[in-house]
Order: sequence, then C-alpha cells, then structure tokens
Amino acid sequence: MFGLIKTWKALEAKGIMGINRRNADYVLKYNKRNLYPIVDDKIITKQRAIEAGIHVPEMYGIIETEKDIEKLKDIVKDHTDFVVKPAQGAGGDGILVIADRFEGRYKTVSGKIMSHDEIEHQISNILTGLYSLGGHRDRALIEYRVTPDPIFKSISYEGVPDIRIIVLMGYPIMAMLRLPTRQSGGKANLHQGAIGVGVDLATGITLRGTWLNNKITKHPDTTNAVDGVQLPNWDGFMKLAAGCYELCGLGYIGVDMVLDQDKGPLILELNARPGLNIQIANDCGLTHRAHAVENRLAELKEKGIQETPEERVKFSQELFGHVPPHA
Amino acid sequence: MRALTLHLKVLIFLLVALGISITAYQIFILGIPVTEDETDDLWNIDAKVEFQASPREPVKLQMYVPPLNQEFVSLNESFISNNYGVSVNRVDGNRRVTWSARRASGNQTLYYRLVLTKRYSGEQTKATGPIFRDSIPVEGAEKIAAEALLSPIRQHSADVETFISEAIKRVNNPNDDNVKLLLGGDTSIPNKARVIELLLSIAHVPMERVHTIRLNADQPQTPELWLRSFNGDKWLFFNPGTGEQGLPNDRLVWWTGDEPLVSLEGGRNPQVTFTLNNSEMNAIRLAKLTDENTEAGFLEYSLYGLPLQTQQTYQIMIMIPIGVLVILILRNLGGLQTLGTFTPVLIALAFRETQIGFGIILFTLITALGLSLRSYLEHLKLQMLPRLSVVLTFVVVLIAVISLLSHKLGLERGLSVSLFPMVILTMTIERLSITWEERGGSHAFKVAVGTLIAASLAFMLMNIRELTYFIFTFPAVLLIMVGFMLAMGRYRGYRLTELFRFKAFLKD
Repeated sequence: MFGLIKTWKALEAKGIMGINRRNADYVLKYNKRNLYPIVDDKIITKQRAIEAGIHVPEMYGIIETEKDIEKLKDIVKDHTDFVVKPAQGAGGDGILVIADRFEGRYKTVSGKIMSHDEIEHQISNILTGLYSLGGHRDRALIEYRVTPDPIFKSISYEGVPDIRIIVLMGYPIMAMLRLPTRQSGGKANLHQGAIGVGVDLATGITLRGTWLNNKITKHPDTTNAVDGVQLPNWDGFMKLAAGCYELCGLGYIGVDMVLDQDKGPLILELNARPGLNIQIANDCGLTHRAHAVENRLAELKEKGIQETPEERVKFSQELFGHVPPHA
Repeated sequence: MRALTLHLKVLIFLLVALGISITAYQIFILGIPVTEDETDDLWNIDAKVEFQASPREPVKLQMYVPPLNQEFVSLNESFISNNYGVSVNRVDGNRRVTWSARRASGNQTLYYRLVLTKRYSGEQTKATGPIFRDSIPVEGAEKIAAEALLSPIRQHSADVETFISEAIKRVNNPNDDNVKLLLGGDTSIPNKARVIELLLSIAHVPMERVHTIRLNADQPQTPELWLRSFNGDKWLFFNPGTGEQGLPNDRLVWWTGDEPLVSLEGGRNPQVTFTLNNSEMNAIRLAKLTDENTEAGFLEYSLYGLPLQTQQTYQIMIMIPIGVLVILILRNLGGLQTLGTFTPVLIALAFRETQIGFGIILFTLITALGLSLRSYLEHLKLQMLPRLSVVLTFVVVLIAVISLLSHKLGLERGLSVSLFPMVILTMTIERLSITWEERGGSHAFKVAVGTLIAASLAFMLMNIRELTYFIFTFPAVLLIMVGFMLAMGRYRGYRLTELFRFKAFLKD
C-alpha cells in the first residue's frame, strides 16, 4: 500500500499522464463530439486532407454497398498493389494489403494467395460492420499501398512502420516511431506487440523504445539498435502533424503518418484518443508538456495572436526538442 | 473550465446534501428503522371489567379509556362484550366508553383491549389548560392550618413549579402538626392529593388529577394518581406521594379529572383489572400497520406504497445503481478491464437466478462452448447477423441441454437457468471472440476474468439484504451515489493498474 502511494507520487512528479487525466483534461475538453466522425471515418479524413492540400495515400475507390463490390475489378485494374481498409476500422483490423498479382489471383504482403472471391468476401464483411467500432455498417476504402522508406529496413519486421505525433491544439508535443515486430504480425499497434520508439521533436533522431510496457534499445527481431536513427524529412512530418489541427478541429489528437519511398510523408489516419505508451517510449510524461502548451495558448490569447503551423512547430521544437542522449 | 468545475461542485454538494437530509429526515424525524431486523415494543393492554348486574334493570357502565392524543399510537382497539351496545365519546379531553344493555343478570365481564406503540407518534397538539382557579372555601381550624403551611411555602418558592413541589413536600412531612390536622389521620395518596389541591387553590394555582397506567408487564397494574398543573406553556406533572416531578416515559395517561374510572348504573361491585404484556414487532411492519391506523401516511409516498408485486421488482431495480457503482470504481479507479461497460451488471443480474457459484460455472461453460462454435463459424466466413443468430440458437440449445441433463441427474438448480439471459451470453461470446482475434488469447482471458470478477462483486453487493432494505426504504441515498458518480466524472488521478503499467519509468 505504502509502495503504491510512493509510485503514485513519483509518477505524478514525472508528469506521467493517466487514462483518467487524458480523458478528463484533454479528450473531453478539447475534442468536440460532433467532430469525431472526421477522424473516425478514414474516408472523411482523407477528403478533408485532400481539400486542405495535405498529403495522403491516393484513394483508388470507395465501396459502399454489396452491389458496389462488382466495381472492385474496375477500381483495381490499373494497380498491381493496393490496400483495402474499413473506413471506420479500429486497431488496424480488417486491413488487407495486396502486394502483387499471381496467375489471376492476388498475393498479400505476407505471401498468402487470395482469390478474387475471397477479397470480395472480406469487403462484404467490412460492409456489414464486422471491423467497425460498435458494429455499424461501414464502407470499404481502396487506396495506394505505401512502400516504406528503406531507412527502416534494419529496424523493422515486415509491415509499414509509422510515426505517431501527439498534437495539442496544433502544437506537436511528443512523437514516436512505431515498428512492427514478428509478434505484432506486421501491424504497428503497440498493444499487439509493436515497438514504440521515442523521437526527438527538434532533430528527428530516435531515442530509446518501449516494447510491451518495458524499455528497450534493440529491435527484438533484427537486434539492431533502435536509437540514434535520423528520420529523413523530419520537419515535413512536424508540419504535417501541426496542420492537422486546422484539418479536423480536434484539439487533442494522435496523428499517424508514414514515410513513403516515393511520396515522402503521408498522413494515414488521426486518432481522437491516442494511447499513453508514447510516454514510455520517450521516457517522459505528457502532462508537463501539455501544461506548457496550455500556458502558451493562454499567453497568446491575451495578446490576441494566432500562430501558424510553422510557428507552432518552432515553439514545440525549441521547448521539447534536443533531448540529451542517454548515457 | 473553472466555471464548469464550480458548477459541478455546487451540483454535487446539492445532491449529497439533499440525499443526506432526506435520509436523515426519514430516520430521525419519521423514525423509520435503519435495518429490517429492528424491532419495537408493542404494548397489549387488557382492561377487564367485572360486576354484578341487578336483575330486571337496564345496565349502563361507563369507563374511561386513554384519550390517545399523546406520544403513543394506537394500532388496534377493541371492545369485547356480549349483548352490550358500545359507544365511545369524548368528554373534556377524556374518552369514555359506554356499555349498555336492556337486561342482564349475574356476573358480567367486559373487556377493553388496546394495542399501542411509542414509535411513529404524530405531532403533539399544543397543550392548553387553566392558569387560575378560585379558592376552595375552608373554615375554622383548617383555614388557619392551611395558611400556616402556605407562608413558608411561599417563602421557599420562586414560581408555580417550585411552589407545587414545595407544597407536596410539606404535605408529605408526617411530623408537621398542620398537615396532621388537614389530613385527619388518613395518609392515603388520594387524601394527600385532596390536601395539596386545597393548599394550591388558596394560592389560586390550578391543579388537576391524572390517572396513569404504568407500562410494565411484570406486575399487575392499577391506575396511579399523579397531579398536573399548567404553567402557561406546558403541563407539569407531579407525584403526590414523593413530590417527584415529570411523568416517566413508561406512564400512559388513562384519564384526567376527579371522577372514578368506572361508573355503573343497574349493577354493583364493579371491578377493573389491568393486564399488560408487551411483544416485539418488526419495525417496518409496524410502520405499515401504523400507516393504516393513523392519518400520518409517511410511507404513502415511499416505495412501500406500491403494490407488493411491483415492490419486489423495484427491490431488484433499485440495486442496479450499486452494481453500476461497483463497475465504475473497478474500472476508473482500479483499471480492471471488462467486456463492455455494463455487461458485468447484466451478468450479475443473471446470477440472481442461478446463484453465484453455479452461475459462474454455467457462464464459463456456455461461453467456452460458444467460443469454440464461434471459432468454427469463423472458417465458414459468415456475415455478422447470420453468425450471431447461429450462436444465439446454439446458446439456447446448450441451456436446454444443460437443464435437461441436470434435471435427469436430480440437480434442480439447472432448471433455474431457463431465464439466464441468453442474449447477454451471446453478446459476451461474440465480443470475447472479437477481442480474442484482435488482442490475442491472453488478453481475451484477462478481460473475461475481469468481467467475472466485476460481475461477482456486483452480485454480492447487490444481494446484501440489509443494503437492499436500506436503499429501498431510503431511496434518497441514490442522490448521494449520483454525487459520487459526478465527482468520479472529473477524477483525473491514476488507475491502480497504471501504477504497474508505468513502473518502467521508475527503474532508473
């Protein structure tokens, strides 16, 4: 009992944010309920992003009804590889990544061969709401398959590593690189066993990581060090993330991005309830950083100034960046 | 944000204050018992009247009965008599029953029975009485003796109260010659009362005789004489034998005034004997009885006013917030993971039918079998609705089979299952299997165990009989609970599991 109180005090001193605080002080306070559909439905997110000139993976088509499934052949006829996603899916479920064609059949990224009927069945499942939050009817989204930048080859196992940046009122406050492992089945979700690696906001150099709530320094599959890697085009990521506030209007979001070999940083999706493991990856609590941003906002409000995304990135990088490397 | 917090605090304060004050009002003012087992004294007073009727003469017997405007509530009152007409009327704050018969002969016995209790008495009516009286005319030696007694009494007293007690003290002094003269050798209590009245009347202090019955079952009781005087605000009671002031709690005023208890025409030798016994009665049943017998009606607008059938339903329903509270605490403070938010409460309700041990076994068995069916169906690539229908039907068949088997084995428990909510089970299976696929077997197992723990805990709390009684009787407690829930709505501390989850931070 006494030990628990001590732990509590120590965590609070470090500014570690718990679920209750995240919900009460940030999600409920900054995220208006009526804006949730923008981030919950990937199709709406994508359309908004395109309107705002923000880079996203190109959309090949949408399937809304069982009858529309016939159009699948048309939609994918010019593309050898593509991704099928449920628009309102959660946790990466129901995503089908087709990497190649083989004798009139399709080959998934893990090498499994699928017939056209099987893909249609999967889409039908998506439409009935099998993968959507709350089991509602859903739409299927067919889009460009991202080819990860070769920089990640040494520290990732299959799948596409992505970059998550937590953005509070347009100010990036913490960043993390998520690396798939054998255990996560190529998915970049931390609770499925992917690795989270902290990223210095100023430089884009990776810090140490977290795997299943523990701190680690090496990738368990490739045994390469995950820290000290320079992510290319880092300022591009930061600007992309900061701009998402204008895009969706939600004040506290996790922005998931990928680095495509050809197209550079692209936004994959936005999350209105980003997880808290990013704190372990960065070995730093979110609360103090969030308070710094809130103070800055109050200060600016008094002066009546609204900062542009570039100014916000600069502020965040100066305040939260340049983390001293671990000994 | 700050305004919202203040708003919330005020709201919580109001709710909690309202809940506490309503409950306190019910407990302390209305006197509703806090536990179901609380009992109350119930007094059963029998007055038996015996007399010899004169032949060929109409009989009319009048007897005083308690006026019932005191701190006692009568639950039942009966006049038991053969061939007698009965009427009750009020005279000068007393109540008198009149038994009458055209003809009667030989030994006659009449009964009066009163059942009363002290709890739940209504409001006392404002007391009024005379504060002045004329002197009783007195002559000669007695007059001189009385005045000789009065002057030291006047000296030693400050007001009506001390005057009366001083007078009683003097009259009870056997060595005083003046008193001896006034008493005339008769030291009985009624005679003393007569002398006291005489003394008081000369000082123009009014006094009234009060006849009381002592509520004591151990010995036979006869009416005991007390004196009372009105001081302009309330009645002051005095014991004429001792000067003791204040009527003890166990005295019931039977009648007031100078007249005897019984007056009889057409008969002789009336004798009244009192028999008392007390019994204990479940306090809440007593409350319902009182409610029927008085105009009070304080249970009228409580849940006890509902038909019995509905009451039973509400006794279950009113416990649901307790179950919800358990889930809230376990999830938001403890960080326990459960399937859905309120599924554990529904499962806890289902446990009511089966009892907990059997319920857990059944729940585990059906869920495990359902999960294996679900994983088989996964291979068939069915759409969601048809798949759910298959699982539901399977659950129904499974329950039927279990019932049949347990019946054949002589376990009647298995039959109670029939109402175990199947839809809840089906949804549990579906959700669990999705969790299994998304998050892996160990997580699904963790969630299932968490759900069972939460459900068992909620069930155990919801089934505490005392708690059910308390909340059913004092539903305002729910307001206090809502206050707590509102406060939890802005709780931002860590959950218990987070202390372990973030332990990695403290390892340096």
